[in-house]
Amino acid sequence: MAIRIEPRDPLTQAQGVEAGYAQTARRWPSQPLVRRPLGAAELSGPQHLARRLPLAGGGKAGDLAGYGDKRAIGQLVRLRIRVLDEDGAPLPGTVLEVWHCNAAGKYIHPNDTHDAPVDPNFYGAARLVAGDTGLVELRTIKPGAYPVPDTGGWWRPPHVHLSVWGRVWLSRLVTQMFFPGEPLNEADAILNAIRDPGARERCIACLASSKTSEMIFEHQLVVRGRKASAGTP
Amino acid sequence: MSRLIPTAEMTLGPFFPREFAQGANDLAQGASGEVIEITGRVTELDGKALDNVILEIWQADSAGRFDNPAFSGWGRAATDAQGNYRFRTIRPGAAPGRAPHVNFLILYSGLMRQLQTVMFFEDADDPVLKVVPQSARARLIAQRVNQTSYRFDIRLRGGEETPFFDD
Repeated sequence: MAIRIEPRDPLTQAQGVEAGYAQTARRWPSQPLVRRPLGAAELSGPQHLARRLPLAGGGKAGDLAGYGDKRAIGQLVRLRIRVLDEDGAPLPGTVLEVWHCNAAGKYIHPNDTHDAPVDPNFYGAARLVAGDTGLVELRTIKPGAYPVPDTGGWWRPPHVHLSVWGRVWLSRLVTQMFFPGEPLNEADAILNAIRDPGARERCIACLASSKTSEMIFEHQLVVRGRKASAGTP
Repeated sequence: MSRLIPTAEMTLGPFFPREFAQGANDLAQGASGEVIEITGRVTELDGKALDNVILEIWQADSAGRFDNPAFSGWGRAATDAQGNYRFRTIRPGAAPGRAPHVNFLILYSGLMRQLQTVMFFEDADDPVLKVVPQSARARLIAQRVNQTSYRFDIRLRGGEETPFFDD
């Protein structure tokens, strides 16, 4: 399928250097990014990545929360994440990587020096594959907030990191999902680097049900790219 | 047809799981072609090396094809504490209208969205290389270390900054 990619909209995508996030000024290029002609290299992409990347934490329905004496500490949530393209067409078979900190705000990572306890029953990473409707489900616990160890840092609101490939090389999406009603959302330098309020809102999951044993959150990821119709460049 | 707006990209953060970062930097296994190694160092402003930067590559097979079912063309490596990464792959062939190249995507804490750049093997007549300012083009051409090894350093910001693309 031929895919068309349009330039990023500066209102709905972050632009690079953010005053509230000191590291961005050390890492984002100082020179303007170059617009390049797109061809087969950019408009093709890896197929069948699920064969190359081992799935972890469950296939189409992952579980990071565990049960019984292996249950992770925290509030049980079920994330229902749907992966679509710009036409609204689902992406079955696409690989989704998820990672988040534990309920106390601590990651299972040697670089996390935050003085918060490790939960022996929580390993916060799963690699999943989307089902026929582009849906990925993950049973987990709600992550905690934690302070950013950067100069002039701040407390990050609870969030879930998400990585997905889409149809072509340029549709790669790495983002974060937030929870509704969190006061820290208002001051987060990463969420608020997105200028358009609607675009920020779309990064916040929707509480679909709290009448179940797990709070159910629904979320949608839209990867770049739409079907190129005949005659359009 | 109504169009959905792509989700906002956000930084990878500093805690990308090690198990995801590792194990995908060898594209050569089982593939036909000339096996090469690509290594390099990723630095920020002032030349400071960066740890756990995620680099993903996308390239053609040895015949210049991007859709060879027998060759994935995709790989991922992470930098170590000294900022060094390493891929083992096949030297890509020339795709129609292009010089042989390897597409790089960079994800890291403090990068609010992905950065894209391209490694070339030599200065060539290539439509992507041509849109880069002349003075910066040499920074997209890998240094040949030996017969089978190339070095491609990536400087995110500062002197000798690597050119990056926006699409």
